[in-house]
Amino acid sequence: LSPNTPGLRAALKALLEARPKEAHWLWRLKFQTTDTHVRFDASKYGWGWVPGSVNWVIPTAMVLIVLERSRRLNLVPPNELKRRVDLGHAMLLDRMCPGGGWNAGNSVVYGVPLTPHVDATSLAIAALRSHYHLAQVRQSLSWLLAAKCSSTYSLAWKILALRSYLDVRADVGPALKEARDQLVALVQEPAQIADNSTLALSILALDENSDPFAVERPA
Amino acid sequence: MNRLLNRRFFGAALLGGTGALTVQVAIERMRTSGLLADRRKPRSRVAILSADSYAAGLETKIADGLRLFHFDLCGRTVLLKPNLVEFIPGTEVNTNPLLVGAAADAFLKLGAKTIIVAEGPGHQRDTYLVVAENGLEEQLSKRRMRFVDLNRDALVRVPLKTRFSGLDALWLPRTILAADFIVSIPKVKTHHWAGVTLSLKNMFGVVPGAAYGWPKNTLHWQGIGQSILDINAAVPIDFVIADGIIGMEGNGPLHGPPRHLGRIVLSDDSVAADFTCTRLMGLNPWRVPYLAEAAQFLGNGATERIEQLGETPPKTVRPFSVLPEFAYLAGKAI
Repeated sequence: LSPNTPGLRAALKALLEARPKEAHWLWRLKFQTTDTHVRFDASKYGWGWVPGSVNWVIPTAMVLIVLERSRRLNLVPPNELKRRVDLGHAMLLDRMCPGGGWNAGNSVVYGVPLTPHVDATSLAIAALRSHYHLAQVRQSLSWLLAAKCSSTYSLAWKILALRSYLDVRADVGPALKEARDQLVALVQEPAQIADNSTLALSILALDENSDPFAVERPA
Repeated sequence: MNRLLNRRFFGAALLGGTGALTVQVAIERMRTSGLLADRRKPRSRVAILSADSYAAGLETKIADGLRLFHFDLCGRTVLLKPNLVEFIPGTEVNTNPLLVGAAADAFLKLGAKTIIVAEGPGHQRDTYLVVAENGLEEQLSKRRMRFVDLNRDALVRVPLKTRFSGLDALWLPRTILAADFIVSIPKVKTHHWAGVTLSLKNMFGVVPGAAYGWPKNTLHWQGIGQSILDINAAVPIDFVIADGIIGMEGNGPLHGPPRHLGRIVLSDDSVAADFTCTRLMGLNPWRVPYLAEAAQFLGNGATERIEQLGETPPKTVRPFSVLPEFAYLAGKAI
């Protein structure tokens, strides 16, 4: 991110000020007392898809990636930025599925563990790159490395996420190559890919010179 | 009866934490302003068809069932809306793709010009992964049918005809609005927030994730039951083919055990279809708040206003198991 990016300060400020429902004590009380079928710690919150809703894994991960990148620019109050980033990381770690990976939001509903999704897991571990020392992140990376998937959309997210972890584990490279080969085969027939954003995402994933979802780690 | 139903609706909204008083006031305002105009037909038609499995012969069975309704579908575009949520191996979460394929063949046989299959999964963002893993892709390619991901379709702002959710408009997919004939093809399941999920709840899938998030979160917080009513008042279903061959009981709509019911339910009234399915599940539809409210203005729930075209409803049924919170749904199904 460049500090000269037009509108960046206002956009970052809006992200910092965006609050999901869990940010309000009344909602936290509701989740702690009457609405307890979904297991999660409501005091740890990130970002929702749209205003007026609760937080979810994918928007939280995307906002965290951007906020981490903006840290060095000092465009927004650093203490508040740190507080929201820490809270967002804590939310992701709290919502991890038993066994690693992430579903759309929560991990256990009515006592049943939910299964992880490739796209949500990819974005979450990309956002948690600076927390690789934690067992949950390592476990989730292992889940993603082993996850088989045949869809263009999920493969593209998986490649973009794995790129950030090339330097930490020897098995990331071969898994990345396998996923790339699969994706290359799929994009050979672009007409088969029904939506344009997925095709564009695939191009980003296959461009080895770009790393649009890499997290800038604090020095 | 009305007051009783309103109290139930009020209670459900309170449990859902959605500002029950506001909802109740909104319902009364809708009644007095004419927004809740009675759209019910004098009589609705339902056909219950026995089907033990998804084996061969399903298309003939459905075509025979459809003929009972005497449609004129010549030259029309039929949009099939199955229930695809996410693929979980070993569970009966989604409408069986063989039933979707058989329904497409049956509508083509009756003269439909084009069949489109459309869905916007509520949970999983990777729509094509769900379509492929569920086996629907095979059915689509076999028939060269188009699939539209409603989560990412072009959108049109549609003013709402009712205000149960408190919203005054919804962004809805152009494909849905352009279809000549919309067929809701739900899976017969229990639902851990709504009680049951059938043809009306299936229409949550037309609401685009691109505008409302995954799950369709804004609407969840406006109230699931209330949103179901608003969506169905805005986008009326023309026909229902409910997949009750194997349903789901207990902790539906994702993690309950499969339940063999051995029935397909066809209807020209989505409310009548859902009432019939709920009765087949051994549950009392009048105790499902959104169904009870829908039966006041959207369609028919009372048995005397439902004409049975197919088989006679069974005299006794083994009720679907429900979570303890929904024990009140059991009881004499009237």
